[in-house]
Amino acid sequence: MSSVPISQWPSEYKYSAPVAGDTEMVNVTIDGVEVQAPRGELLIKVAQDYGTYIPRFCYHERMKPVGMCRMCLVEVEGMRGLQISCATPVVEGMVVTTQSPDVKEAQDGVLEFLLINHPLDCPVCDRGGECPLQDQTLAFGPGESRFVEEKRHFEKPIPISDLVLLDRERCIQCGRCTRFAAEVAGDPLIDFGGRGSSTEVITYPGAPFSSYFSGNVVQICPVGALTARSYRFKARPWDLSAVETSCQSCSVGCRGVLDSASNRLVRFLGVDSEPVNHGWLCDKGRYGYEWVHAKDRLNIPLVARGGGLVPESWPQALELATSVIRDVFDKHGAKAIGVLGGAQGTNEDAYAWARLAKGVIGTDNVDAQLGDGLPAEVVIGMERATIADLDSARAIVLLGPDLKEELPVLYLRVRRAAVDLGVPLVDIGASNTGLTPYAQAVLRHLPGDPEAVTEKLAAALAGQPTRPDELRPLLEAIDKRALIQKEGPVVVVLGRSSVAEAADATVRAAAILAQAGISAKFLSALPTANVHGALDLGLAPGFLPGRVTLAAGRDELAKTWARVPEEQGLGAAKILANAAGGEIKLLVLLNCDPIADFPDGQLAKDALKNVEHVISLNSFTNESMRHADVVFPITVWGEQRGSISNIEGRVARLGRKITPDGSTMEPWRIATELAARLGHEMDLESFTEVQDEIAQVAPAFVGVDSKLISWARDGAVLPVADHAAEITLALSSLDQNKRSAGVSWEPIPTSGEDTPGNGAVPPAVISPPRPAQALYSWAKQAPERTAALADSYSLRLVASRTLYGNDLITTQSPSLARLATVTAQLRVNERERDRLGVADGEVVRVISSRSSIELPLVVDPSVPERVALVAINRDAPGASDLVDINESVTDLRIETLSKPVIKES
Amino acid sequence: MGKFSGFRITIAQVFKPKVTGDYPNSKRPKPERFHGRHVLNRYEDGMEKCIGCELCAGVCPANCIYVRGADNPPDSPVSPGERYGFVYEINYLRCIHCDLCVEACPTEAITETKLFEFSFTNRQDAIYTKSELVVDDQGRAQRQPWELWLGDEDDQTSGWMRATASAGQAEFEGKVGWSGELGVGVRAAEPSQDKTRTAIAPTSEPEEVALG
Amino acid sequence: MGLEQVPHNFLTGRLEDLVRWARRNSVWPATFGLACCAIEMMATGAAHYDQARFGMEVFRASPRQADLMIVAGRVSQKMAPVLRQVYDQMVEPKWVISMGVCASSGGMFNNYALVQGVDQIVPVDVYVPGCPPGPETLLHGILTLHEEIRTGAIMKRRGPGKGAGIQIDNIDGVTGSVRPVTITSS
Repeated sequence: MSSVPISQWPSEYKYSAPVAGDTEMVNVTIDGVEVQAPRGELLIKVAQDYGTYIPRFCYHERMKPVGMCRMCLVEVEGMRGLQISCATPVVEGMVVTTQSPDVKEAQDGVLEFLLINHPLDCPVCDRGGECPLQDQTLAFGPGESRFVEEKRHFEKPIPISDLVLLDRERCIQCGRCTRFAAEVAGDPLIDFGGRGSSTEVITYPGAPFSSYFSGNVVQICPVGALTARSYRFKARPWDLSAVETSCQSCSVGCRGVLDSASNRLVRFLGVDSEPVNHGWLCDKGRYGYEWVHAKDRLNIPLVARGGGLVPESWPQALELATSVIRDVFDKHGAKAIGVLGGAQGTNEDAYAWARLAKGVIGTDNVDAQLGDGLPAEVVIGMERATIADLDSARAIVLLGPDLKEELPVLYLRVRRAAVDLGVPLVDIGASNTGLTPYAQAVLRHLPGDPEAVTEKLAAALAGQPTRPDELRPLLEAIDKRALIQKEGPVVVVLGRSSVAEAADATVRAAAILAQAGISAKFLSALPTANVHGALDLGLAPGFLPGRVTLAAGRDELAKTWARVPEEQGLGAAKILANAAGGEIKLLVLLNCDPIADFPDGQLAKDALKNVEHVISLNSFTNESMRHADVVFPITVWGEQRGSISNIEGRVARLGRKITPDGSTMEPWRIATELAARLGHEMDLESFTEVQDEIAQVAPAFVGVDSKLISWARDGAVLPVADHAAEITLALSSLDQNKRSAGVSWEPIPTSGEDTPGNGAVPPAVISPPRPAQALYSWAKQAPERTAALADSYSLRLVASRTLYGNDLITTQSPSLARLATVTAQLRVNERERDRLGVADGEVVRVISSRSSIELPLVVDPSVPERVALVAINRDAPGASDLVDINESVTDLRIETLSKPVIKES
Repeated sequence: MGKFSGFRITIAQVFKPKVTGDYPNSKRPKPERFHGRHVLNRYEDGMEKCIGCELCAGVCPANCIYVRGADNPPDSPVSPGERYGFVYEINYLRCIHCDLCVEACPTEAITETKLFEFSFTNRQDAIYTKSELVVDDQGRAQRQPWELWLGDEDDQTSGWMRATASAGQAEFEGKVGWSGELGVGVRAAEPSQDKTRTAIAPTSEPEEVALG
Repeated sequence: MGLEQVPHNFLTGRLEDLVRWARRNSVWPATFGLACCAIEMMATGAAHYDQARFGMEVFRASPRQADLMIVAGRVSQKMAPVLRQVYDQMVEPKWVISMGVCASSGGMFNNYALVQGVDQIVPVDVYVPGCPPGPETLLHGILTLHEEIRTGAIMKRRGPGKGAGIQIDNIDGVTGSVRPVTITSS
């Protein structure tokens, strides 16, 4: 794959001789075998690519070499002494010996030395059994130790954060964790302290290692020094069985390995997927598996009876739901039925429900986005960038939410592109984000009004001769970048930075960039797990599966489906408004809770109160369910096989690891059951049949059948005809033999023996794309300027998400629940606070056009003036009480509750 | 003569001593290192030797052992160190008494006794939990009602030990290679192999040992 | 045999004791050795242990003359119907001892070829652990069975919670030669 050799990273850590942009191949002889490698590539990597494993502890493929452990010593002809292969770049004619007696002696010595201070408590160590130090001592070690003295002792273990425990006795000072924190995560909160044998990893006094990526250091630690609190003593490696899957805590779709013991999920580890996550995971994804086993999981259908929800059998519940649907359909027609949600499930769920709603019932009032996304036609139709495009981009423009809070691993990729690869970064937004420190240009605007700054940026990027001052560093960086990367798109990371403002302004700003002639490509930053799959498969008004509009896909789909809706239906906001108004009689909630999720909480409450019937599919009880006629318990991530689409449109498979408790059912199967009872047999028996049908009827999914999904190691980006070259085929991306080398501490090799051999025939990947693709055209819209603030007392609301809020994954996972903030706060900067004259933490009254609530006021220096920030994923009272979905922005007035102290002058 | 020659053996047997044992009133002596049911040993200070490392469960070819570790409560530790065996169960309807668990155990926590006479009328009874396996305060195996013990048979309970005990190597002859046990103290060093052999090599039919 | 109609009261108490005593002292096992456990089973019948001391003189070659089936060894899936047929051919009252871990649970042969516990096919009265159980352990199992016979009811042999928790009940009110049997898990 097209990974940039480490030696080419422009960085201050130029340990090896860097040659920018060099792809010249050189001849190297490793253990007598002549191989070709790019000049400047590290010897340890070249040897590994050609099948010679050189032992190592500190070297990690995704980080810069430091040469700390001295384990990777090899003999290089013509060089004095032994060389550390992790920091030796290859040059023409190099002759390397990795297994000479000298090397063996050196390895013996290094290991014996490491084991002097390393306790032999492997039986109680969580790493024991999959420990690189154990493995390499067995493979390369001296066999016996001469050390008989007492080893050093520390208190063990000490927590360095809420999630990670440190056992200092076991640390071998490889520096992987400290380097990860500083280089990759950008949270340099741990470092080495002390000297000599008392060197230890420390946090700053009083500041824990509270990074969103702290779990990664547990995974890359080559010993058991850093262990996860959630996995502590839960299982030993030989108890575990593993399956590779994609993370569903956000829409990046990081690849990982899900481990279970005794039908209980016990941990989730990142897998090195070159195009997606590079082996990293955020803590929410890593420790969010715990919610699957939450006590409050629904595991039996519920029906409304006698004023409450009571357990019922599946056939009865399905019959009841069918009669409700049929009743509403007969009396009021298909338009009286609305389907909301579906962005949390799999592609199969989305397709089956799209087919049930549109093809069987015939309603187009279907929306997977609950008012927190972008218009479906924009997401489906815009020219999509892949995550890998970030690395080769001319520049990256952030026009959306705080990636660190909403899509943490995408933040890592953008950060890597900006910091390590030198891609210029532009931050457009109303307030500071996690990526602001790395941006060459920071363009601040009033919430809801990004157009003015975007126009300026577009003009500058398009080559306008005059350079505005604030953009000068950016343009210089672009000029510098052009030396390496002349071509390449401008990648715009596009999303909703705040649900308190309408999406139109963001779309207009994106249109400006799309039409500026700078070959802009867009990377969607909608955070909900499988929202892209849901939209691609027709859970959006006006669309059919496969990114086609009703008009374009009607004829084709009518061959398979019983019917196709005649005219375009309503979006989520209108569905809820009509439900509140009484035109919509039945709401089907697909794993969603509008009262909590919809930005305008009042509208959602009214809708659910007034609507006659509600059918809810969920894994937990929630507020919206109170109005339900029938509640179906569904299987969730880890219990269900299938596929998901991530922000790039990459379809990747989901693995099933455990058998669910109770009697839950996959949402797609519920759809087929309901369809059969409504008199329409879908003839779908397994998830592979659903995948095959999708590949057959959905134009964008041509070629992406069950066979390809199960073979493509990193998944396949849609449309597959354009990306066929990027697909890596593998019989199975993970087998038991590769486990220890693959997922626990080193990246899985991306090439070589993984490709299918032994006469196995890879599936046909490339099929011609079908026409009828409705691409979005960025019509130049009339510039519609958002109103300025009414007066100098008003503040404008930004309602964004934080990583740990009141969402299910966080609150139902004990590890993460400790970190969650569930009560809303009003965040303003100091000057606004002073203007109000209140103390930090004091409760104030917040008034919007919708309602007035009381919130504690907190000072946050990263919030600009005239802006108030309230996180949306908080329990009520919060931002959703303030937002009116019909207003383009939300302006607030703040009143103090305490009596103003009048100073006597 | 031919007619009666067949009776010769029968008649001769009548005058020999009876070989039939009187089980269940007495038992035949069992060999050294006989593999009976397990016990979980404790140190002389009463702490459990088991640290919940699951090596026994990992090595068990019949998957009959289920172990879960947990953090030792800091104020009243169950075993030395940070981890102890929180759950320890052996299913005797799976155990094949191969002793690999004893070999694998890093702390000599699990050993096998010579107790071998037990049967169940119920599957659930066959699963011995930790409270049944662990030795009592005298260092003896706990007697379960369904087990047939005669007299002080449990004397030899936590006895032998691992086949690869250090005494198996000439250079370790006469050296103690194990830790002290509750009720037993530090056991004497294992006799060297030639001595062991002569000590138990049956020169004649083993004597019936009447116990109890 | 008509014993079902005998009322259970103090008059019949002594008679029941007599029946149980007689049954206990004349349990004849069927010859049904399946694997290595059968060697130990043979040893149990030989001079050193001599199960004839307990009235178990002979291993009967015909199941119709046997009261007890000692499932001695692993039961392959192919053998399962044969085993069940032998059990069905035995006359009531009849008992089953599952000898050794393979018969009891599949033991270390946790695979597709073997029945994972013979109590999936026949109701088991006594499980004898060991791989293989020694003659003394088998005798212990036999003595446990004797105790079960001595203390159990003569008509309703299987109490709830015994064996694998499978209970075989006759459905009331059904007459005729064919009586459907329901197997409920208790």
